[in-house]
Parts: sequence; C-alpha cells; structure tokens
Amino acid sequence: MTPNYAVRTVAIVTLGFLILPVIIVIPMSFSSASSMSFPPPGLSLRWYSSFFGSSVWVSATITSAVLALISSTLGLLLGSMASYGLCRRRIMQRGIIESNFMAPMILPTIITAVALYIAFAKIGLLGTLIGLVMAHTILLVPYVMVVMNVAFRSFDLRQEQVSWTMGASWYTTMRRVVLPQLGPNLFAAWVFAFVHSFDEVVVTSFIAGTYNTVPKQMFSELILEISPTITAVATLLIAFTVASLAGATLIMKRSVQTV
Amino acid sequence: MATVSHTQTYRRKSWGAVFFILPLLILVVIGFDIPIVTIFNYSISSADGYSLDNFYELVTTPVFAKVALNTLRITVMTTVIVAIAGYILAYWISTLPKTGRMIALALVVLPFWISVLVRTYAWIVVLGNAGIVNKTLQSLGLTAAPISFLYNDLGVTIGMANIQLPLLVLPLYAALIRVDQRHMQAAASLGASKRVIFWRVFFPQTLKAYLAGIMLVTIVSIGFYITPAILGGGRVPMMSNVIETYINTVPRWELASAIAVILLFVTLGLFAIYRRLENRTGDEL
Repeated sequence: MTPNYAVRTVAIVTLGFLILPVIIVIPMSFSSASSMSFPPPGLSLRWYSSFFGSSVWVSATITSAVLALISSTLGLLLGSMASYGLCRRRIMQRGIIESNFMAPMILPTIITAVALYIAFAKIGLLGTLIGLVMAHTILLVPYVMVVMNVAFRSFDLRQEQVSWTMGASWYTTMRRVVLPQLGPNLFAAWVFAFVHSFDEVVVTSFIAGTYNTVPKQMFSELILEISPTITAVATLLIAFTVASLAGATLIMKRSVQTV
Repeated sequence: MATVSHTQTYRRKSWGAVFFILPLLILVVIGFDIPIVTIFNYSISSADGYSLDNFYELVTTPVFAKVALNTLRITVMTTVIVAIAGYILAYWISTLPKTGRMIALALVVLPFWISVLVRTYAWIVVLGNAGIVNKTLQSLGLTAAPISFLYNDLGVTIGMANIQLPLLVLPLYAALIRVDQRHMQAAASLGASKRVIFWRVFFPQTLKAYLAGIMLVTIVSIGFYITPAILGGGRVPMMSNVIETYINTVPRWELASAIAVILLFVTLGLFAIYRRLENRTGDEL
C-alpha cells in the first residue's frame, strides 16, 4: 500500500523533528558568536578551545572516561557471566533473578537515584568512586545482558558439548571455542555499556558528591546558566557516540559475514 | 543418546550456575535491592513506628496534587503526540524501498543513542526567544513578540516527545513489516477500498504491538527527570523533580522516599500491562 501525501508529509516532518536537535547543535558549536543565535554569524573553533582550555571540563572528561572504563569492563564481566549462567545452567527462580538484574533499566532512574543516595549516605559510599562504579555497573548490566543473551541463545550448544566430549576442560572450551566466536558480541556489549555509563546523569548527579563528570557538569550548567561551550561538548559527545556505535556495528557485521 | 549425555552434562555442571550468577547477584542485592527496600522502609516510617503518615501528608499537600496533575498531563500529551506521529512514521518507513528504509531507520536509531542531555539542550537553541522558530515566525510577520515555548508545558512536551519517539517507532516498525502482505492483496481482490483495507485488515494486526509501544512510552514519560528539569525551568515540576527537591533543597528523605515508592508501584503496574501486551503480540502470529 503506498501512503498518500498527508501520511508522507507527517512522516517526513516527524523524522525531521527527530533529528533536528542533532543537526542544530553541530553547526552551533562552530559559531563565532557568544549568543545562541542560529544560523551562526561566523565560524570559529573558540568553543572547542574554551572546552579544552577549561580545567573543569578536562577533569570532568577524565573522570567520566575512567568511571566508564572501570564500570563497563566490570559490567561486561559480571553481566556476560550471569547471562551465560542463565542461558546454559538450570537455575531455581530464574525468572525472578533475571527480572532483578533487568529492573534498573525498567524503573525510572530517579527511583534508583534516590534509593542509592539514601542507602549510600547511610553506609558512607556517597561521593566515593566505589559507590559510583557500583551504581554505573548496576545500571549498564541490563544492556550487556540484552546483547549477550541473544548471543548465547543463538550460539550452538553442541559446539561446547563436542569440545567437552573431546576432553577439553570448561576453561579450554571457553577460551578456544566460545569466546573467539562471541568476541564481536562482547565488544558491542562493551561499547553500549561504555556509552551508557559515559552519558549517565541522573544517578551520578545524586551520588557523585565532589566528583564531576561530563554529563553532571553539563546538567548543572543547563540548569543555572548556559555557555556556548556546551555546544562544543555536545558535538564531541555526538561524534564520540556515532564513532563508537559505527565501530561496534562494523565489527558485528564483519563477524556475521565470516560465519 | 545425545539427549541423555546432554542432561548429564547439565546436571554435572549445574553447580556452576552459582559461580556465574553469584557475583552479579551480590552486587545487585547490595547496590540495588537493599537501597530500594531502604526507601520503602523510609516511606512507611514515622516518629512513632510504621505508619502511612508520609503518604497522608503528600496527598493532603496542595503542591503534591498539582505536581501529580502536571505529571499526568505531560505524560498524556507526550504519549498522544508520540502515538500519532510514531505510527505514521513507522508505517511510512515500512513502505519505503530497501535503501530508503535503511537510511530512515538509521535516522531514528541515531538520536536514540545520543545523550538525553544533548537532545534536550538543543531545544533551548531551537525554541528560545531568539531561537530559530521564533525568528522565523517574526520574520514572516506571524507574531510581533516572541512566543515563549520554553519553561512551560509546551516546551517540556516537545522535548519529551522527541526523546520518546524512537521507543515507539523501532518496535512498531518491526511489527509492521511482519504483517503478511497477502492479507491486503486478498482484501483488495475482494473489492475493499484502501481505507477499509487499512482499518479493517492492516491496523488490527498491528494493534497489540502499537499498544505495547504506547505503554512503554507512558512508563518512561511518567518518571522522566532530565527534560522537565531543563526545559521546564522549575515551572513545570513533575513527580521526579519533586523527589529531587525533597533530597537537595528541603531535606525530607521520608517524603522523597514516599514519592519514589508511589512512582515505583505505578511503573510496575504499567509494566505488568506492557508485558501482557508484549507476550500476546507473539501469539497472534
């Protein structure tokens, strides 16, 4: 059925509406003006030099990167282990356990934020790196598990069985049979997890204390006063997200072709 | 034989389940479950033991009623916009040739992955008093003074609809392309008009996926925090923003916990409906 003009127009307008924020922010970041006018009166890199010259933003970037690196690696390890256990082993109350792991993705983040704020305040984890890593790992684990559940379910169990039959230990089976084939999925899961941690703002704003991350700094600037430096930050975030996802997609595609 | 050895392997190795799951389970219990129980406990505690005093205080506070209404109004407006525009977009994408589909889908997926902060922030630039929309309207002579889109319902709804759209469009698109084209061809060969084919043959087959998507948008909208905080500028507080106020501005942890618990039950209730709809989408195929 070919859609009529009205349907086509509404659809194209909706698509335009969807990507408008992305296509507005990028040219704004190269503006030479300090006012928020669009289109920019002239081009310059002043907001990028203001970003890289600001100790606040640079240290926030380092904190974000370190936090995302630790949390996504830990989340990948724990999440894919749990996913393997849930897919391959018989477990009592499996549904409940799985829902429990997925809950932080489904519940509004503000609930997790206030719960962690109050609980961490009582046990002294507020404003600590350990508290932040715990929170980020819990929030990104569901994304790792979504990717890895698909991977383990589509992975032929017989390959593992053959390997065991031929006398390989579980460790060898993992290292030589399972992991090499699931490498691309693990990489994709890790990238999703990293991006997710790097962008997390609600829980971080509640529990980070004196730690400052890029989204937290951005959020507080957006609430108080807006400097055009934010356009540069936003553009860098867009570029970073697109590059990571493109990398992950490319590696996933290549793995599909070789199989 | 194969099945026998299969079960044996399973049994022999089943102790390993604990090894795989326990580390994450410990982390989630300490870092998530116990904190949730803690706020639950806070919400029903008062000076003299357990009671529902906090909930009573909330319900009788006029401000809370206003905030609950705000939350409901914004959620409904956002969901209606997303539901209408999202169905049309998903439908249009499903009719495109292959390359067109790929491009259109990429344009839907891309914003989905970009930080909510970035996408919210852009609307300040677009909708502000000196933003593109107001400048265009003024240069066309449609308005003399700039229209205020920001710091009111309109701005918050536009920002939230923009963020929730992919949540509906992506799963709905997947459901639309699964509809068997031969049903529509059969209806057409029997003389049904285009309108009848769409509403009586096509649409009913996509209804459950559509409702599931709408539920998902409602669930996410009702607890949204970032967009109302930025685009509402404190003038359109939703439930989540009041939680923040009771933590940072007026420290009343028991009230913050009580709102969070209300939000938790509303979300779980909506999610239960969503799961039922989602499971049924599979049955009809």
